[in-house]
Amino acid sequence: MNRLRGWAMLALVVGSAACRGGAGGGGGEQGLTVAMMPKNKGNPYFASCRTGADEAAKELNIRLLWDGPTETDPAKQNEVVDAWITRGVDVIAVSVENKEAISTVLRKARGRGIKVIAWDADAEPDARDYFVNQATPRGIAETLVSHAARLLGGKGEFAVITASLTAANQNEWLRQIRAVLAEKHPDLKLVDVRPSDDDRRRAFEETQTLLKVHPQVKVIMAIASPAVPGAAEAVKQSGRTDVRVTGLGLPNDARPYLKDGVLDSAVLWNTKDLGYLTVHAAHALAKGTLKPGVTSLAAGRLGNVKIEGDQVILGTPFTFTKENVDQFNF
Amino acid sequence: MTYERGLALCLLLEIALFSAIGWNFFTAGNAGEIVRASAEVGLLALALTPVIITGGIDLSVGSLLGLCAVVLGVTWREAGWPLPAAVAAAITAGIAGGGLNALLVARLGIPPLIVTLGTYSLFRGLAEGITAGVKNYSDFPASFLVLGQGAIGPVPSQLFVVGAGALGFWLLVHRMAAGRALRAIGFSPEGSRYAGLAVGRRLGAVYLLSGLCAAVASLLYVARLGQAKADAGTGFELMAVTAVVLGGTSIFGGRGSVGGTLLGLAALAVLQNGLRLADLPAELAGVATAALLLAALGANRVLEGRNRA
Repeated sequence: MNRLRGWAMLALVVGSAACRGGAGGGGGEQGLTVAMMPKNKGNPYFASCRTGADEAAKELNIRLLWDGPTETDPAKQNEVVDAWITRGVDVIAVSVENKEAISTVLRKARGRGIKVIAWDADAEPDARDYFVNQATPRGIAETLVSHAARLLGGKGEFAVITASLTAANQNEWLRQIRAVLAEKHPDLKLVDVRPSDDDRRRAFEETQTLLKVHPQVKVIMAIASPAVPGAAEAVKQSGRTDVRVTGLGLPNDARPYLKDGVLDSAVLWNTKDLGYLTVHAAHALAKGTLKPGVTSLAAGRLGNVKIEGDQVILGTPFTFTKENVDQFNF
Repeated sequence: MTYERGLALCLLLEIALFSAIGWNFFTAGNAGEIVRASAEVGLLALALTPVIITGGIDLSVGSLLGLCAVVLGVTWREAGWPLPAAVAAAITAGIAGGGLNALLVARLGIPPLIVTLGTYSLFRGLAEGITAGVKNYSDFPASFLVLGQGAIGPVPSQLFVVGAGALGFWLLVHRMAAGRALRAIGFSPEGSRYAGLAVGRRLGAVYLLSGLCAAVASLLYVARLGQAKADAGTGFELMAVTAVVLGGTSIFGGRGSVGGTLLGLAALAVLQNGLRLADLPAELAGVATAALLLAALGANRVLEGRNRA
C-alpha cells in the first residue's frame, strides 16, 4: 500500500514536470528578461541603483530580476549567475565583487549565448560584453578640480587627504588631478598630499596637522570616502571659517557637514542614473543596437551616452550639495 | 512512516512544486547544477554525520576548508610547487587541522563545541593571516579546474567525489562495527568505555575524517570557482549541520543515517535552486529552510510521541 502510494507520487511529479517542459522554455511573452546583480543586496548604495533600474525596466517593458548576496559567502554571486543561466535570461548584469571567481561563470553564460554586462565594478574583459563605467578617473579629477577652483576663485593653494599613499585608485585620481591642474588651472597649487588609511580618525588628525603646517591652504580635498567627514570635522573644530572642504564621498557621511557649510560639496556619481543606464545598455545589447563600433547609446532621459570601446560611460560625476543631498540615502 | 520516507516525500513535493513554478527546473542540466552547487557542503555534511552521531559537533569545517584552499594557493603560486604537491599539501593541512580537533576532543576530553568553536576562529584566522585577507590565487590550469567545472556527459565531476564519499561513510556508519561503536558512544560515552570500546580512538578518527573531507571539499571549491582565497567556505559549517539535522540525525548523538543526510542535503539544495529559478528572492531561501527544518523535526517529534504512547 505504502509502496503504491510512493509510485503514484513519483508519477505525479514526473507528469507535472513533463507538462511544464512543454509549456515553459523561453521567457517570451513579455519581452526581455534582464537579470541584475548588486555586490550586496543590503547595501543602501545598491538599493539606490535599483530604483533607477526599476524605472528603466518599466519604461522599456523589461522583466527585471534583481538578486544577489545578502551575506559574505563569496560563492553566492556565482550560484545566482549559475541559476540565471539555467533559468534562461536574455542579459545578465553584474556588479562584480570578486573578479576571478565571477569571470569563470560569466564566460559560461556568454558561451550559452547570454549577453553579459558588468556594471559598477568590472569583470575580466573577456568575461563580459560591456562595462557600464560610472566615472572615469579623468572625469572625477575634472569635477574635483573645478570645485577647488570655484572655492579659491581660480587662484590659491589646496591640499589633498588621500586613502593610503599606495592606493591604486587614489593615485590614478591624483595623477589626473595634476594633469588637469597643468592644463586648465596653472594658478592652483597642490601643496601637500597626506594619507588617511581609509580611517576617519586618521583623516581628522592629518587635517589638523595640515592646517597648522600650511596656514595659507584654503581648500582641503578629501579623496577617500571616510576622509571626507574626518577632514570636515577637523576644519569645523579648528574654527577656521576661511577653509572649505570638498571631496569624493557618500551622501550620508557628508550630509551634516554640508548642512554646516564646512563641506562645500561631495563628488560621486548618481547611483539612480547608474542603475537606469545599466538597464538601458542591457536592452540595447539584447536588441543588437549596442555592438562593437557603436560610439553612443540613446539612454532614455539621460539622452545620448558616450561609448568608449567596450565601456558605456555614465558621464560627468554627480555633486552632492546642501541643496540636493536629502534626495539620497546611502 | 519512517522519518526518512517522510523527508523523501518532502523532497518529491519540492520537486513537483518547482517543476510547476520554476523556469527550466526539471532538466538534466539543472540537476547537474544542483549537485555542483551542493557538493562541498555535501562532503562536509557527510563527514559531520558520524561526528554528530557520537554526540559531538565540528564547527571548524568551513574555516578549515578556507585554510586548505589558501595552503593550496600559497604552495602552488608562491612556493612554486607542482600542482600535485600543492594538492598534497592542502590535504595534509586538512588532516593536521582535523588531527588538532581530534587531539583536543579525544585526548584532552574538552567538549567538541568548545574545541571546534576555537579552531573555527583559528583556521579562518590562519587563512587570513597567510594571505593578509586580500590575496587571491587564481589561474589554475584547466586540468585542475575540470574537478569543479567539468562533466562526463550530463554528470558533473563532483558527483563522483561526493558519491565515493557517501559510499565510504555509509559503509563506516551502517556496515562496520565501528559504526555501531559510534552510536554507542553517542548514547553513552561512559557506558561505551566500560563496555570496552576504544572511545578515544573512535572519536579521534571521526574528527580526523572530518578534516580530510574539509580538505577534499576545498579542492572542489577552488576548482569550481577558479580561485583560492581566505574567505572560501564561509558559513558552510552551519549549512552542513542543517543538512545533517534535517536528515534525522539526533544532535544529542546515538542516532542518524548517511542516507538521511543525503536526503536532507538534497531537500536544502533543491529548495535554494528552485526558489531562484522561480524568480523568488534569495532571502526567502533562509525562511524556507527554517520552515522545512522546523516542520520536519516538529512532525518527527509528534509522530515519535504518538508511537511511544
